[in-house]
Amino acid sequence: MRTIGLIGILALAATAVARTQSRPTLAFRGDAGFVWVHSDTAAAGAIGAVRLRGPVLGGEGRLVFRGFTVGLGLLSGTLQAADQGSVKRDLIEGRLVVSARPLPWLEMSVGPFVRAYVTDSVTERWVFWQARARVDAPIMTASLSSYVELWRALSSDVNLVAGAGRVQGGEAGVVYRPPQRPFSLRLAYRVDDAAVGGGGSRSETLEAISLAIVVGGR
Amino acid sequence: MTRASLVLGLSLLLCGVRMLRAQSASDLLGGGVRAYQALEYDAAAALLERSLGRDSAAGLADSLRARALTYLAATELFRGQRDSAIAAFRQLVLLNPRYRPDELIFPPQVTNLFQEVRRATRAIAVAVPPVTELRARLERFTAGVLASSLADVTVTLAREDGTPVRTLYEGPVADTLTVKWDGLTAAGAPADNGRYVLRVTARTSTADGPRARQVVLEVKQERPDTVAWPPPLTTPPLLPERTSTGPAFRSLAAGLVAGAAVVALPSLMAQGKDATGARFAVGAAVGVSGFVGFFARKPRPVEANVRANASQRDAWKRKLDAVKAENASRLGTMRLVVRAGPETIAERGSP
Repeated sequence: MRTIGLIGILALAATAVARTQSRPTLAFRGDAGFVWVHSDTAAAGAIGAVRLRGPVLGGEGRLVFRGFTVGLGLLSGTLQAADQGSVKRDLIEGRLVVSARPLPWLEMSVGPFVRAYVTDSVTERWVFWQARARVDAPIMTASLSSYVELWRALSSDVNLVAGAGRVQGGEAGVVYRPPQRPFSLRLAYRVDDAAVGGGGSRSETLEAISLAIVVGGR
Repeated sequence: MTRASLVLGLSLLLCGVRMLRAQSASDLLGGGVRAYQALEYDAAAALLERSLGRDSAAGLADSLRARALTYLAATELFRGQRDSAIAAFRQLVLLNPRYRPDELIFPPQVTNLFQEVRRATRAIAVAVPPVTELRARLERFTAGVLASSLADVTVTLAREDGTPVRTLYEGPVADTLTVKWDGLTAAGAPADNGRYVLRVTARTSTADGPRARQVVLEVKQERPDTVAWPPPLTTPPLLPERTSTGPAFRSLAAGLVAGAAVVALPSLMAQGKDATGARFAVGAAVGVSGFVGFFARKPRPVEANVRANASQRDAWKRKLDAVKAENASRLGTMRLVVRAGPETIAERGSP
């Protein structure tokens, strides 16, 4: 099933590549945001919930060539317990994405995603392959548009928890491109949800709001 | 069978008699002319009088009748019957005021007598073509007025019931006069369908004056084809004068749907777990952007299209005015078909 989905996405990307003819362009995005992490554990004999939050900064570079996009992104920040406790984690996310637009309003992408929670003693690392679909809807032609993006993991792996489960998420926001300016601004809300461990013993939800500036890529 | 045969036989007999009588009138004229040329004046007078005595249906045509009267007058003159000769010439002048005996055929005493009678007999006639088609106001219906001698006449056109329509001529006629009618009434409108009387009367009415002559005219209007109006302007070719409401509502929908998606994402993707209220702020911002787009793209006048449409409307109106003017012109130049009846002598005192 995952293989079929991957083949479908690549086919759409190939169609888009064959259809478009353009020079390669580069785009860079800088993100500033705030993240909330809710982690609930229901292991045998142990029930716990962790609430973390904190600011994050990130960036992503994208190369667009013939409708085909390759992007590499990184996000990092320090999360603290919501109750001002001593729990503290560094959050690091990285992803590589390959995307194409089979339709002007639809972007399909696929790629590996890595998320790591780093404490003084241990690093919890999530690795999963994402398939993403993004729909863009112009609000004002070429200057203001909204988008909704949903994704789901084709495969997932967590180093500290046995068994991989469902990982999915979504993002929605608005992009403003000031006229005659080489940049655009983006306001977005993201939520990722994961259920890992045998029988869904642990679930984790990550919410983030972010304000980004994108340069280039027009 | 017997009855049918009887009817057929009677019909053939009647036709035969009529043909025989018609032939007899012209034969009698021919016989009279031959007798005159053979100087057998008594026989010629008898034959010619008999040829003229036939009823009009089977009798001679006017041209043959004029010929018969001329030969009869000459015959009577050479028989010494001058009064009879004068009477025959008088009939001839009344029949056709323009008729003249051929001076190569008849000797001077005959032609001189005819001229005396013509001068003494005051007669007028009117001659019209049997059918005339004309465009009212632009073309003319013509009638010839003939007079045996100088006469003061009035040519009028009236409805058959006597209602005056127009006076076409008042004045003298020495020999011939062509009177023209443009198809209009005295009010300047094309004559309506109906029967009209074209009458020529002497202006000084005396007992021995010329009798009024008239012709009944059957006038029929033929309405001309008119030009169709230009088709009304629609969109297209008219351009929309306001922007469509579609983009405005699409903008609003794009913002509101994305805003709703922001709010609903935790429910959809995180199985309804408790989510922070931060998403509401982002959702509201996205929703507001939809309203911004709605008001930015709401329908508004497209000035260039308004100007272009005004130009098209002006052109259409000019075209319409031209068509109206053309139709008015065509309707003003109504076609008339005038069919003339036979010339008759008007009753004295008739309108």
